[in-house]
Amino acid sequence: QGLKPIVSTESSALVFGTATKVASDLPATDSFLGKNKVPDLQKLFQKTDGLPVHLKRGLPDRLLYRTTMALTIGGTLYCLVALYMASQPRNQ
Amino acid sequence: MAHQAHSFHMVDPSPWPLFGAIAALLTTSGLTMWFHLNSPYLLMLGLLTTTLVMLQWWRDVVREGTFQGHHTPMVQKGLRYGMILFITSEVFFFLGFFWAFFHSSLTPTPELGGQWPPTGIKPLNPLEVPLLNTAVLLASGITVTWAHHSITEANRKQAIHALTMTILLGLYFTALQTMEYHETPFSIADSVYGSTFFIATGFHGLHVIIGSSFLLICLLRLIKYHFTPNHHFGFEAAAWYWHFVDVIWLFLYMTIYWWGS
Repeated sequence: QGLKPIVSTESSALVFGTATKVASDLPATDSFLGKNKVPDLQKLFQKTDGLPVHLKRGLPDRLLYRTTMALTIGGTLYCLVALYMASQPRNQ
Repeated sequence: MAHQAHSFHMVDPSPWPLFGAIAALLTTSGLTMWFHLNSPYLLMLGLLTTTLVMLQWWRDVVREGTFQGHHTPMVQKGLRYGMILFITSEVFFFLGFFWAFFHSSLTPTPELGGQWPPTGIKPLNPLEVPLLNTAVLLASGITVTWAHHSITEANRKQAIHALTMTILLGLYFTALQTMEYHETPFSIADSVYGSTFFIATGFHGLHVIIGSSFLLICLLRLIKYHFTPNHHFGFEAAAWYWHFVDVIWLFLYMTIYWWGS
């Protein structure tokens, strides 16, 4: 729903060049600390595969999401049990 | 494929708000279990889940803006309002602690010896490490502005250098404050002087750590070409937050460190 066209001119403009510059035009000095992978990532995240943004990268996203869900839901149960026990009167 | 007829951002369904609320529940009840029943596990779980939610939620914002193009000028305007309102709420947070400081220091009670600093309290010399800390944060304000100009001028290498220097200055401040905390002759339990000093400077220090972390994320994004000369709001938000942290320190220095000695 409502995705922008594949390559947005703003987002893909390179920090050190003009909006029309493309990765292959780079002079050697511009590979200081790595290549620009943003256009590839833009393609990846704009694939119409119906996946929500938090799962868009596939397996690593799913693992992290499931871990977070397990910890939060497990934690809620632990929390309720702990609060129940803490609310029991202590006999001297 | 459907296209929207407006320039706003209708987000994908996301689990992070719910998980974030649960993380807050675990953290607060974890504090209770730690304070009253000496058990830190629920608190650790709460802090862990809070961190996980923050990482994934903000990761998704970067994906939506930089990779999916959802951050139109209208959306960016909303983000700007949001950041400004958040910083304003933080200003009020600190205002409370400054109020507490002035409440106790303007009319010191007989229990304190009728004076401020209270009898027996040896305050830190404001012209020693605290003055150095002031210089460090002011310098970092300059370097972050330099980084911003470098970004708008499309000078990638210089932007990376300037932002790195900003982060190093922030870490230097934190190291100096940690050292100072160890060296103070008074503790948080030493009357209302200790309470106001450590709560106000302690929360400030926490905000320096948060600000440094935000700047570090921006540095990584800068290196990965996420920012353009015209569109780099994440960096601007971090810079605003950093200037706020600097200003809070200036008020702390003038009131608690200098006037309060």
